[in-house]
Amino acid sequence: MTKDLMIALPKGRLGEALMARLEGTPLALDPGALRSRVLRIPTATPGLSALLLKGADLPRYVSAGIAALGVVGSDTLDELDADVLEVRDLGLGVCRLSLCAPGGVSLEDLARRPHLRLGTKFVRSTAAWLREQGLTAELVPLQSSVELAPVLGLADAIVDLVETGGTLRAHGLMELHTLKRTSARLIASRGSFLSEPRRMDALIRCLAEAAA
Amino acid sequence: MPTHTPHYPDLLFAAAARLRRWEGRLMDLLQRSGYAELRPSLVMREAEGENRVRFFDGDHLVALRWDFTEALARMLVRRFPEPPPRVSYAGAVFRRPASSWEPVERFEVGCERLSVDPGERAEADLELAQLLMAVPGALGLQGGLLHLGSAALLAKPLEAENLPETLAARVAACLSRRAPHRAFEALEGHPAARRLTEHLERLSQPPDGPELLDTLGEGPYADLLAEERSHLARALVRLTPLLPEGLTLQVDPADVSGLGFYTGPTLRLWAPGAQRELAAGGRYDGLFPQLGRPWSAAGFCVRLSALLDLAEARPDLFEGSEP
Repeated sequence: MTKDLMIALPKGRLGEALMARLEGTPLALDPGALRSRVLRIPTATPGLSALLLKGADLPRYVSAGIAALGVVGSDTLDELDADVLEVRDLGLGVCRLSLCAPGGVSLEDLARRPHLRLGTKFVRSTAAWLREQGLTAELVPLQSSVELAPVLGLADAIVDLVETGGTLRAHGLMELHTLKRTSARLIASRGSFLSEPRRMDALIRCLAEAAA
Repeated sequence: MPTHTPHYPDLLFAAAARLRRWEGRLMDLLQRSGYAELRPSLVMREAEGENRVRFFDGDHLVALRWDFTEALARMLVRRFPEPPPRVSYAGAVFRRPASSWEPVERFEVGCERLSVDPGERAEADLELAQLLMAVPGALGLQGGLLHLGSAALLAKPLEAENLPETLAARVAACLSRRAPHRAFEALEGHPAARRLTEHLERLSQPPDGPELLDTLGEGPYADLLAEERSHLARALVRLTPLLPEGLTLQVDPADVSGLGFYTGPTLRLWAPGAQRELAAGGRYDGLFPQLGRPWSAAGFCVRLSALLDLAEARPDLFEGSEP
């Protein structure tokens, strides 16, 4: 018996960009179901459906083998302990994870502070970078509107995703250092990939080609 | 910090009966193949290590048995001047898991093939692979995938390129996730970055037949890995005609999850639909020399806890309605 497969797609901008690219492919999502409020959407391939999930939850569905494949930002993936395979860098949604501070403040100024406070949603990546640099800082975990933190005095600087830099400039912030490049990654359940490699490889190729 | 309740499994009637039946069938299979049972103590004096379940016995810190291979090795070194060639074991090990939903107590059956003569290694590896091929049938598992790999396919190039230990560990972690693009990022600035990334791309292919070995033969470390490729090719030729019905034999060169322990050929058993490997093993020639004996060894362990979970989740994968 061959089990039905599910692909986990992220909600939001990345998901919308991806769904547009999947139109006309065997992985195209059913438009009728997409217009409804259901979160499990049939695709053009019988036995294959898509789950629409928040990025932070998505890798858990894949690591548990509920979804065989998923698409998620590397920034999200790096914050989780999900045992998943990362089979492709899709090159979509490319951003930079950057250290940003108010204009006139340099990286050296920040490093010299006896008690540096960094506001970020990306606590693990920031902590790893601090370790590499031999720096210490208090991390202020924030979920959104991170740019406000240095403006209002909650933190000295922030570590956040930067695409064009427009939001930073609007808040008088400048990019001081790029920690890493981030982009959408195609992830796979270890069990599904290793136990059904041919079936999975065909799906991976199809998704990667559509995203390219 | 959130507190997670560790998973200490209670097995109720059907699962308990299944475990006893499977243990019996596998130990019979091993005994018929000449593997004699040894039972190391449930308590080990070697308590150092992050994932161990430890407690004080009076003034002494001890640990519950966390790994049969190591427990057996220490017992063999203490009690035998020459190694018995074939030993088997069955019972529980206790390890703190990486994920909160994995059990701390895990049930295992396994075997170890020991030798003093290095010339016996190749035959011993084939013997173990052949024995593992009989495991799905003994458990009533309909179909399975036996993956052959070799720790040396990555270890040798990393050594040849003189990668520092921490960077080598990062590259191995990238391969374990089948993410050569991550390895390229990790290797940024290293003179061998492109060469190693190309090699990892070849290793990251989905498990497949002998043609995967041809791909490695066209890669940047073709000569360095000629012996390993030829060993895997010979194993495929020898084992393929012996495959039981429903079992597929493939090469998985990206199998590096035990790279710090395994030194040569590795074995993994999967089933279609399984989310975890059902059995794993390989050649580990470094352990006994570390304990002061010049013995070589290989073995495999059948993960009965993973099989019990699979029987609950996918009963259709087992013969009959009651596995």
